[in-house]
Amino acid sequence: MPDRIQKPQPANPTPGGGGGGESPRAPRVEKPNTDELLKRMRKVDPDQAKRYRQRTGQ
Amino acid sequence: MDIQFGTETEIGITREKPDGLDVVAESIALVRSATAPGVRMRWDYSCEDPHCDARGFRVKELLQDIDESNYFAQDAQRTLTFHEIKSDLVLRNGARFYNDHAHPEYCTPECSRLLEILQQDYSGDSVLIACAKALTQNSDNPVLLYKNNTDFRGHSYGCHENYLMPRTLTWDVLSQAIVAFFVTRQIYAGAGKFGWEEEDTFIKAGFQISQRSDFFSELQSVDTMQRRPLVNTRDEPHANNELYRRFHVIIGDSNLSLYSTYLKIGTTCLVLQALLNGAPLERVPKVSDPLHTLKMISRDTSWKWYCREASGRPTTAVDIQRAYLQLVKEYCTGLDHDWKAVLDAWEQVLNDLEVDPLSSADRLDWSAKYKLIEEFRQAEKLETNDPWLRSLDLAYHLLDRQQGLFYGLLEHGAFKFPYSYDEITCHSLCPPPSTRAAVRGRCIEKFGAAVNATQWDYILLHGAHKKIELDLRNLFDPNLIKQSLKIISAAQSVEDLAVLKFAKLV
Repeated sequence: MPDRIQKPQPANPTPGGGGGGESPRAPRVEKPNTDELLKRMRKVDPDQAKRYRQRTGQ
Repeated sequence: MDIQFGTETEIGITREKPDGLDVVAESIALVRSATAPGVRMRWDYSCEDPHCDARGFRVKELLQDIDESNYFAQDAQRTLTFHEIKSDLVLRNGARFYNDHAHPEYCTPECSRLLEILQQDYSGDSVLIACAKALTQNSDNPVLLYKNNTDFRGHSYGCHENYLMPRTLTWDVLSQAIVAFFVTRQIYAGAGKFGWEEEDTFIKAGFQISQRSDFFSELQSVDTMQRRPLVNTRDEPHANNELYRRFHVIIGDSNLSLYSTYLKIGTTCLVLQALLNGAPLERVPKVSDPLHTLKMISRDTSWKWYCREASGRPTTAVDIQRAYLQLVKEYCTGLDHDWKAVLDAWEQVLNDLEVDPLSSADRLDWSAKYKLIEEFRQAEKLETNDPWLRSLDLAYHLLDRQQGLFYGLLEHGAFKFPYSYDEITCHSLCPPPSTRAAVRGRCIEKFGAAVNATQWDYILLHGAHKKIELDLRNLFDPNLIKQSLKIISAAQSVEDLAVLKFAKLV
C-alpha cells in the first residue's frame, strides 16, 4: 500500500458540501460478513438483467 | 508528471419496473434533478468537433449504431430544445454533468494527482446517487443507476479517460506504443462480466475479466459508438492544439473499486510519461493480433493470460505489463513519492495476479465480483449459465449504498484503498486546486449567474457593462492558477476579473 499523502486544501471550501448526496460512512475494517452480503444478494431479482435494456453509448 | 487527466463516465439508467421506459426521458429527468451547485445549460457546443483525426485529417462522418439512426428520428419528435435535452450542468468542482443522448454522463474536472481523480470520481457518484434519490421520491418505481458498461444485449456505454499531454510525442509513436499496454491492462483494470457479447448481440453465459473487451474491432479510428477502436484517434485537445494533445482513451471499464481506478489511471499516466521522456519504440512490447488477443485475455478462464508477442514468441499479459513497468522504471527516474507508490502497487498486483489471481480481490473489481458471485452461485447451487448471475453482476454496479453489491463489500471492509477513505470521500465538490478546473469551478461558484457560455477551455461572463472571456487554453502553470484564484476570490464583480492574465474583453 502506498503511504498516505497530505490532504490537499480545497480551492473553494464552501461549508456544507452542497448537494453532493448522503454522507459517506467509513467502511468497517473487520473481516467481511459474508452472510449479510449473501442476504443482500438473495434480494436481487433474478430477472433484473433480462429486463435491462440500454441504448448504445460511446 | 507532465500529464493531466480526467474521466467521462456514462451511466446505465432504468427503473425497477421498466415496462414502457423511455431511457432518454429518464436520463434528462435525472440530470435535471441535480441540486448540486452549478450553472445549467450554458455549455457551448459550437466549438466541439469530434471529427478531427490525430492522423492528420478530418473524417466526414462518424459510424453510428443502426439502432441509433432510428433513435435519432424519435428524439427529433421531442418537444425539448437541443440544450434542454442535453441539460448540461457545470458544477462548482469544474465537472460537467449532462445527458449524453441516452445516458447520464459525469465528466470529472482536470486532475494532476491521483488522489484528486479518486475524489472527483467519488463526488460524481455521490451526485448521481443524490439524483436517483430525488427522482425516486414520491414514486413507487425506484430509479436504478448502474456504473457499468453493458446491458448484456450488446449495447455498451463507456468510461473514457483523457490524458492531456505535451504534443511533443508524435501520434505515430504513441499509437503504436500503447497498443500492447491497452490489450493487457484489463488484468487489473477490468471490472468483470458474467457474459460474452458482441455489438448488438448477447453470445453466451460465461465470466470474463473485462466489461468492454467484447466491443473492440478496429485498431485505430475516430469512432466511439460502433466498430470501436483500441486506439481512438479523436484530436480535440480543448487546449492550445499546437502545444497539447488530449489522448482520448475509450477502452477502459467503469471501475467502482478505488484501487482499480488508481491503477488504471496511474499506470497509464506513467507509461505515457515514459514515452514522453524518450522510451524508444523498439523497447516497447508488441503483441500479436491485438484485437483477437484483447478478447482472448478477457475470456481466459485459466487466468494465465497466455498470448504471443508480435514476433510469435509466447508470453503472458503479466509479462507484457512487466515490460512496461520496467520501461517506466528506466525512463521516469525523477518520480515523487506519490507516483513511486503507483509503481509499487502496480508491481505488487502483477506479482499477485501471477501467483494467485483471486488474491487481488481486495483491490480489483473483476476478482472481487467473481469471488463474491461465485461463492453465491455455489451456495445456491446455481448452474454457471444461470441468468441470475447477470442480475448479480448488474447489482455489483448499482449506485446505491444500501443495495449495491460493491457497496456491500465496501461496507464490510473487503477493499483496500490507495489513500485513506476519508481523504477520498470528504472532499465534497471542490475542484482540484492546481489545475484550470479550480478557475472554472471558482467562477461557476462565485459568478454563476453571469456565465453566458462555457467549455473546457474558456468561460464567457457578462458584467454590468462588459463581457469578459477567460481563455483557459494555456492555463497549466500552477503558480498562475494560484494567483488567479486569489484575484477571483477578491473580485467584487465580473469586471474585476479583467485583470486576470488570460482575460480579454469581448
